[in-house]
Amino acid sequence: MSEARRLSSGEAEGGPSAPRLSPLAWVRDRLGWDDIAHLAAKKEVPIHRHTVFYYLGGMALFLFLVQVATGILLLLYYRPSATEAFESVQYIMAEVPFGWLIRSIHAWGANLFVGVVLLHLASVFFLKAYRAPREMTWISGAILLFLTFGFGFSGYLLPWNTLSYFATKVGTDVPAQIPGIGPLLSRILRGGSDVTGATLSRFYGIHVAILPAITTLFLGLHLILVQKKGMSVPPSVERERSPRTMRFVPDFLLRDMVGWLTAVGLLAALSAFFPYELGRKADPFASAPAGIRPEWYFLSMFQALKYLPAEIAGVPGETLGVLFFGALAVVLVGVPLLDRGSSAGRPSPWWNRLAAVALLGALLLALLALLPAPGEATS
Amino acid sequence: MRTFFAVLVSSLLVGASARATPEARPAASVGCVDCHLALDDPSVTPPAKAFADDVHARAGFTCASCHGGDPRAEDQEVAHDRKKGFRGKPSAREVPLVCGTCHADAAAMKHFNPSMRVDQLSEYRSSGHGKKLSQGDETVATCTSCHGAHGILPVKDARSPVYPTRIAQTCNRCHGDPALMAAHNLPADVYAQYTRSVHHEALAKKGDLSAPTCNSCHGNHGAAPPQVGSVANVCGTCHAVFADQFKASPHWEAFAELGLPGCVTCHENHLIVHPTDAFLSTGKDSRCASCHEPGSEGAKSAAAMYADLLRLQKETGAARASLAREAEAGMEVSRAQFDLARADEALTKARADVHLFQPYAVEKAVTTGLTVARAASAEAARIAREREFRRKGLFVSLGLIFLAIVGLVAKIRDLDRRRVSGGP
Repeated sequence: MSEARRLSSGEAEGGPSAPRLSPLAWVRDRLGWDDIAHLAAKKEVPIHRHTVFYYLGGMALFLFLVQVATGILLLLYYRPSATEAFESVQYIMAEVPFGWLIRSIHAWGANLFVGVVLLHLASVFFLKAYRAPREMTWISGAILLFLTFGFGFSGYLLPWNTLSYFATKVGTDVPAQIPGIGPLLSRILRGGSDVTGATLSRFYGIHVAILPAITTLFLGLHLILVQKKGMSVPPSVERERSPRTMRFVPDFLLRDMVGWLTAVGLLAALSAFFPYELGRKADPFASAPAGIRPEWYFLSMFQALKYLPAEIAGVPGETLGVLFFGALAVVLVGVPLLDRGSSAGRPSPWWNRLAAVALLGALLLALLALLPAPGEATS
Repeated sequence: MRTFFAVLVSSLLVGASARATPEARPAASVGCVDCHLALDDPSVTPPAKAFADDVHARAGFTCASCHGGDPRAEDQEVAHDRKKGFRGKPSAREVPLVCGTCHADAAAMKHFNPSMRVDQLSEYRSSGHGKKLSQGDETVATCTSCHGAHGILPVKDARSPVYPTRIAQTCNRCHGDPALMAAHNLPADVYAQYTRSVHHEALAKKGDLSAPTCNSCHGNHGAAPPQVGSVANVCGTCHAVFADQFKASPHWEAFAELGLPGCVTCHENHLIVHPTDAFLSTGKDSRCASCHEPGSEGAKSAAAMYADLLRLQKETGAARASLAREAEAGMEVSRAQFDLARADEALTKARADVHLFQPYAVEKAVTTGLTVARAASAEAARIAREREFRRKGLFVSLGLIFLAIVGLVAKIRDLDRRRVSGGP
């Protein structure tokens, strides 16, 4: 029994002759570290042919923490106003020691983070990890995905460059298509009728305060649920045999760290060789340049809305499109409740086929959106 | 037809009753228009049709305002009765007087356009056209030659023949006629030259309505070629700095003595092309070499100014290229690029200072530009070093990360080995 554990069990309580604890033992005692260590030691990770997908969750968490850390550093220099935002980012890139590195890691990291989160979601879906009793884990994860998109969308405007300005104009027009509350929602999002400095301050608040607060809650819930319910074993593996396991600490954690270090190396290389470009300062009075596109993870939705006709059965095409994507989001959140076959332990090939078609469709639309627009330079 | 207008106008010239004030406006000219349209005669119908759009018609003027006669009469003879003031078509000599009836009368014009000038007639009389006309030459331009006779549009109307973008074509109707110009001993290729000039490019291609066309330099109603001594003043109305510099230069007096027409000596008059630094060279584009012998003081000064300008261009270009290279590599160079713009300003200033024709003046501006360009080059070099530092730093970091990964893998293998061998 460790010193701290012995002391906390009451052996050394109260008496005037209680021995003095070393500083480290005192901290461990007061934190209840041994209980945490005991809990961690009990956590096991199944070993099978799909184990590699377990690393995606940890990778997403690591990249999120990188975003938090670099975001906090950027906060020290960033100024959220239409007159200063662009110049402050320019200052960060050119003058602040290692500012270029922090901003580039934050920008590249955001893309990597969204990519990993999407892969995590896809792997959890296809490995049926949302089955009972992990429905809430999936639901909290789906909500975290939407929050991630929110981070991406709100952060994209903050450098206040031409591309982000006009992409945000298009993006904030999308919710306006929702019948009834749409225009009000768009107005609230923009802080007025158009994208202005008020939108920038608003997006800044959303990006650095509102979304982090909500994300912390859902991330906490998600992690507690992962801890409580343990790792899901895919049905195909379950049917074959009960898999071997490895300890989370240190076996799995050490492997996780290999991935994290690789991610750090990748981000550093991207930042050094391709510092995230800043472009030109947004000019609200200029006309939108050709080829305005949102971030890659919104491309499929952006392209789908472009293809819709002006009217379908008397309803504006864009309104139907936005309602369709809204319904898709609800379906995504409700997958564990809708896929009754998987919950009952039966295979659900139709859900897999549906998801595969949706993924391929999204990929195709995104590729089409990347084709040069008329009048856009192809070089 | 000619008689018809002659009678109309002569009557107008004689009769004060035809003066168009709101109180004294003739009755509606419906009768004139009805008949002239019904005649369907190419000599009399088009004016009646065109008059509907005329600025004067919109102001309440009628055919009879200029031509006299009785517009109410149904019979042509009565309508065209000279006793009723019918004046017919004015001759070329009469046209300025007909138009001047109102346009030279400040009191009359106040009723229609108080801000319009009323000195056009006196200006016209001072013009080359007006002088020739007074000498009996009726082939020269009068009011209607440029503005039209019927269907006259306001000058601000883009369809008007005297709208800035159309003036040169309007003048060219006569000044491009070889036979007519030969009779007046004038060149007929002025328009062809002008359309190749920077001024035409600015006006017609870039849509800059403030860019000069014929009347900007020659005047409109008082059109006349600028005299030798006044060329710099004319150009100076727009190019004020250059004109001041030229007047302060040694060329001002020298040109006057030699009878050279100022600016156009080097820049031409109608065919004014983009000036280049090569004007100062000794090559085929040289302007200086046409007066200054090689080895003369003037030629030396030109060579010194040319060399200075080339040096600044070269160093500015090199700095710009270095910054572009760094930008291409993803480095933040916008501030340095912004600062470098001051070198471009210095080059513009140096080129303007050429008009002082003093090498020291050009050198002063060039020195300012060179300082800026060299600072930009130094900044580009610093950014290049920073880029190298980042790359080297990256390789060191990647090395450390690799070592850490190797350590982790070794630890993982060690743990796996112990587990297989039943260790803790």
